[in-house]
Amino acid sequence: MHAAGPPVDARAIVQEAQKRGRASSQRYEGLLQTFEAQGKTSEKRWIYERLGSYGASKVIIRFTAPPEVRGVTLLIVNHPDKASDQWMWTPALERDRRIALQDRSTRFFGTDFSFEDLEERDVDQFDYKLLGEEAVDGAMCWSIQSTPKLSRFSQYTRVINWIRKDTYAWTRIDSYVKDDVVRRLEHRDLRNLQGIWTALQTTMTDLRRGSITRLALDKVEYNVPLREEDFTVEALRRK
Amino acid sequence: MIQLEGVTRRFEGRAGVTALDDTSLTIARGQMVSIVGPSGSGKSTLLNLIGALDRPTSGDVRIDGESLARLSDDRRTKVRRDKIGFIFQFFNLLPTLTCFENVGLPLHLRGWPRKEVAARARELLELVRLGDRLEHLPDELSGGQRQRVAIARALSIYPPILLADEPTGNLDTRTGQDILALIRDLHSRFGATVVIVTHDPAVAASCERTVTLRDGRIVEDVFR
Amino acid sequence: MRLLRLISWQYARRHILRTALTVAGIVLGVAVFVAMRTANQNVLLAFSQTIDRIAGRTQLQVTAGEAGFGEEILEKVQSAPTVRIAVPVIEAVAESGLPGQGTLLVLGVDMTGDRSLREYDLSGGQDATVDDPLVFLAQPDSLIISKDLAEKHHLAVGSRLPLQTALGERPFVVRGIMEPTGLATAFGGSLAVMDVYAAQKMFGRGRTFDRIDVALAPGATVADAERQLTALLGPGFEIQPPATRGRQAEAMLAGYAVMVSVSSAFALFVGMFIIYNSFAIAVTQRRSEIGILRALGATRRQIRWLFLCESAALGAIGSVAGLGLGLLIAHATAATLSGLAANLYGVAQQASEVTTRPGVLALAVFIGVTTSVMAAVIPARNAADVDPVQALQKGRFQVISAQENRTRIRLAGVAAGLSIACMFATERRLLFYAGYAFALAAAVLLAPLLSGRLARALRPVLTSVRPVEGALAADSLIQSPRRTSATVLALMLSVALIVAFAGMARAGYASIVQWMNTTLNPDLVVMPSPRFDLRTTRFPAAMAPEIRALEGVERVQMFRFSRITLNGVPIMAVALEMQSVAQTTRLRRPVAGDIEKMFQLSAAGAGVIVSDNLSRRLKLSLGDTLDIPAPYGTIRLPVVGIIVDYSDQQGAVLLDRTVFVEHWHDDSVSDIRVFVARGADIATVRQRIIDRYAGKRRLFVLTSEQSRSYVLNIANQWFGLMYVQVAVAVFVAILGIVNTLTVSITDRRRELGVLQAVGALRRQIRRTIWLEALAVGAIGVLLGCALGAVNLYYVLDIVQRDVAGLRFDYEYPVTTILAIVPVILGAAFAAAIWPAEAALRLPLVEALEHE
Repeated sequence: MHAAGPPVDARAIVQEAQKRGRASSQRYEGLLQTFEAQGKTSEKRWIYERLGSYGASKVIIRFTAPPEVRGVTLLIVNHPDKASDQWMWTPALERDRRIALQDRSTRFFGTDFSFEDLEERDVDQFDYKLLGEEAVDGAMCWSIQSTPKLSRFSQYTRVINWIRKDTYAWTRIDSYVKDDVVRRLEHRDLRNLQGIWTALQTTMTDLRRGSITRLALDKVEYNVPLREEDFTVEALRRK
Repeated sequence: MIQLEGVTRRFEGRAGVTALDDTSLTIARGQMVSIVGPSGSGKSTLLNLIGALDRPTSGDVRIDGESLARLSDDRRTKVRRDKIGFIFQFFNLLPTLTCFENVGLPLHLRGWPRKEVAARARELLELVRLGDRLEHLPDELSGGQRQRVAIARALSIYPPILLADEPTGNLDTRTGQDILALIRDLHSRFGATVVIVTHDPAVAASCERTVTLRDGRIVEDVFR
Repeated sequence: MRLLRLISWQYARRHILRTALTVAGIVLGVAVFVAMRTANQNVLLAFSQTIDRIAGRTQLQVTAGEAGFGEEILEKVQSAPTVRIAVPVIEAVAESGLPGQGTLLVLGVDMTGDRSLREYDLSGGQDATVDDPLVFLAQPDSLIISKDLAEKHHLAVGSRLPLQTALGERPFVVRGIMEPTGLATAFGGSLAVMDVYAAQKMFGRGRTFDRIDVALAPGATVADAERQLTALLGPGFEIQPPATRGRQAEAMLAGYAVMVSVSSAFALFVGMFIIYNSFAIAVTQRRSEIGILRALGATRRQIRWLFLCESAALGAIGSVAGLGLGLLIAHATAATLSGLAANLYGVAQQASEVTTRPGVLALAVFIGVTTSVMAAVIPARNAADVDPVQALQKGRFQVISAQENRTRIRLAGVAAGLSIACMFATERRLLFYAGYAFALAAAVLLAPLLSGRLARALRPVLTSVRPVEGALAADSLIQSPRRTSATVLALMLSVALIVAFAGMARAGYASIVQWMNTTLNPDLVVMPSPRFDLRTTRFPAAMAPEIRALEGVERVQMFRFSRITLNGVPIMAVALEMQSVAQTTRLRRPVAGDIEKMFQLSAAGAGVIVSDNLSRRLKLSLGDTLDIPAPYGTIRLPVVGIIVDYSDQQGAVLLDRTVFVEHWHDDSVSDIRVFVARGADIATVRQRIIDRYAGKRRLFVLTSEQSRSYVLNIANQWFGLMYVQVAVAVFVAILGIVNTLTVSITDRRRELGVLQAVGALRRQIRRTIWLEALAVGAIGVLLGCALGAVNLYYVLDIVQRDVAGLRFDYEYPVTTILAIVPVILGAAFAAAIWPAEAALRLPLVEALEHE
């Protein structure tokens, strides 16, 4: 790997950026706020735990607020070669369910993220092209276009990523359907935590609906000891 | 006695025809009168008024002193039923009834007991020389025979007044004479008042009095 | 054509009333035809629209009858490469606590995957989800309702909406409102969407789904996917495009459609007589006119064409009017028919917009015109045969000659003979229907003769009422057999129809009562919903022992009803505890098989019992092997008994509960039947059951009387349609008598004038006409009752073999007839009033000249 000099290959930049974000586990407390175009807002809090990283990670999201969703737990098992499996535990029904996630363009529980936006992308499913260099929020970035090799890999026609030249951290992602930007993801308040550049503020804008979802991270920890057996459907039921 | 006093009969229609115009006429009991005149002169209208089949537009018709103009429909029918016998040009027999039944019909309508009806009907049909045709339907008879049945029917109650509207009009000359002879015979036998509307001068000539109408007015009244 | 305008139009204009009444016969026939076809069609259309709306973009549906299947099937389906999306669905019918709303169709779906299949079009911004989808999923009391429903009951997001569930009445919360497009318009908006897993719990479904809706992967064809899924799931599943469900509704209504055809055929038949009668009279009346035409050089051919064209014109006018009336009636009847189709969903279909296929309309006009022309053929021939010389003489009338009478009797004898011969070949349907037609033909041929005889027999009766008028009336009837027989025929046919329909209703009723007495004999029936036909809410099996443990309960029986598809026909599977039922049944006379043996074998899982109607439909006999597809393996068992069972119109197969549970992996229960211990008080036990589950479960405990009256109510609903038919027949009868009497009295104006001229009082004439009408009515009713006895035989056979497969005992509907007689006689009487007055109002002089 070219630790020093700038790599010429766009695909390699993306790969490096993914690699630098890698940790064996992660945990944080999130605050998710959605601001609808009509001024309606909603707020949810969760505790996020991830075991493993890109490709084969497992995630548990435990909602803590508002009271109606308190105790609802999501288990996401990512696979490197296919769509993730997801289960949900709903305490009021006292049962788990498989989330029939067959359409990744569906919005993630009323937020501006689609399920696809939350997935980790496999570099091999896309073609990359370096468009140039550009300053975003005062920092120089590569702007790289990724296009899905097969249209069924993604709901988007193409995506433009801005990756900081200094830290290899993503600062902005614009997703296009045909020639229009439909979603814009922005990473702010980047902090180096345990050697990993982490955005404490993430903003997703749905340009078609005119609504914004803001995710704020708190108490971020990497490489915390998490047990593999807690990331199963059975474990969901036990909780 | 039949009295007409200033009788007018107008038919409302597109043209508004006055069939009888202010006509007065008295026919004494037992007279045999013929009424003649061209088509549309009001002959049949006159007869219908006398027979209480029709009401005058103005004026009055009296039968035996009883004024018909003021009577209700049913009362007029009662007058007709008790005093008048009708003979029509087209016979007007009920096609579904036998001769015997046709003749008995007016009696039935008066509620006569069956037996008496039967006896009278037989008697009358024999009188008109149809004693052998009791069970025949009108369709099975000749014109003259049918008219004889009609006469028998008109006579069924031995009415004091017999009205005949062109009784021979639909028959050949010989049969016509035959029928006329029958009517005359009955007239003399029962002493009924007879009024005959006719075109036939021979028929008219055989009556003791002839009234001639033209355009709804009496233009001639001849007693022989 | 010019002749038609010149001659016929003038005649029609002068006899406007008579013309109108003549046309009325065709109007009614066509109207009944159009109405029933259209109503039928619209209910089916509404049904398939509903299916479309509910199905959304679903291309295939995976079902296993009504029973549903385990959740694991979903993953199997999702794993198929031809499947892009597969989402589970539960459909339940729930009573809402909303005033005046009644039931709602609750659609349990998985919102996480379902939105790509169905357009929810939620209010408050395009694509704005349910207020919060996570809340929707997290809270099992979440509902999305249609905007129509929301507006009707002033509900908004956050409002409470109580629904009856298996767990009793639960307050639900409206968490989304759908715009009135797509799904939200199904059932006129009487629809609510909830989470499928919440629905499982709320409606006692355990871990099962009713259905999986599938959208195909790009490039996959429906046929490919069907094949792949069939291979994957086995024969116990049906994999069909959603539209196929419409075919089930069609099957449900098919039997009804046959009955409707019979009644519209009768209406047209009667209409034909009305036209025949009118034309026959017109020809007699217009003899002189025809004579003049002939004298002026018209050929026979022209005369015939004149009359045929006239009838065709009348037929066309009548048909068009009939179309209009028919569509109006269709509006009215669609609601009733919807009730029938509702059985499939439990929520009434709203066939609000009535539309008709042009084909039906064209066919109706064709039938109307053809019937009219056919009715005029004989009168037209008679007209053509008019001798110009004779015709110009006045005052002729036709009577039926002795020769004609002999011919009629001979022909009637032949027809009767043929129809009896055909009775021996009831299995050959064509011959059977030919026999039916022959029987009717014999009756029609004999009617004039018989009505003459009856009129003669009635003479003393009439004269005893009013000597003069009675005699006149009777003689008039006797002397003009043609005129009399037209009215009598019209009446006879309609009364025969009434007898058949009423007899069927009565027979059906009696048979159902008998069936209930033998099989529905528990002291109490415990049900999760107040309706037997709502099978969407069920009890867990564990409830049976709980109830059994209550004091005073001697025996409980679990019953499970589930609609399945056998050989493409939707039938009812009844899973019951055979051994226990064997001890309580009062069934003594099975259709085939031995009572003890059939229960023994089926209890051992070595056979099934089928209902009589199913055996007939599928031509099953004792010992035949039945292959019943089930989600967990095909059931292959011999038929060990055939019994009379009215559980389902389409047929029922009765099998032991263990067999059902094994092959459906579903032990839920439709109802629990409770036998109370000797000496225990039924009311007390009933209360104990209610108390046991108070606040925990919603249940209805019906006493045996209640459950019987419930079943009878359902039967009434079905027979209600029969009574609609009876009403149509009564209407036809009344129309027939009004028409023929009006025509015949109008025809006799001159005759009535003569009567008056020779001294008849108005009231005498009036009474004569009244008595005549009553006498004709009585004769028609009498002959109709006699023909009805024959007709009922045929109709019952049709019902048994071609409609429902239900075997009903022959029972003459005496009470209905007793109720109908005064109606018909009253109608006859009423029908005579107006024409009599009209005839009397005519100035005497004019009447005498009337020709």
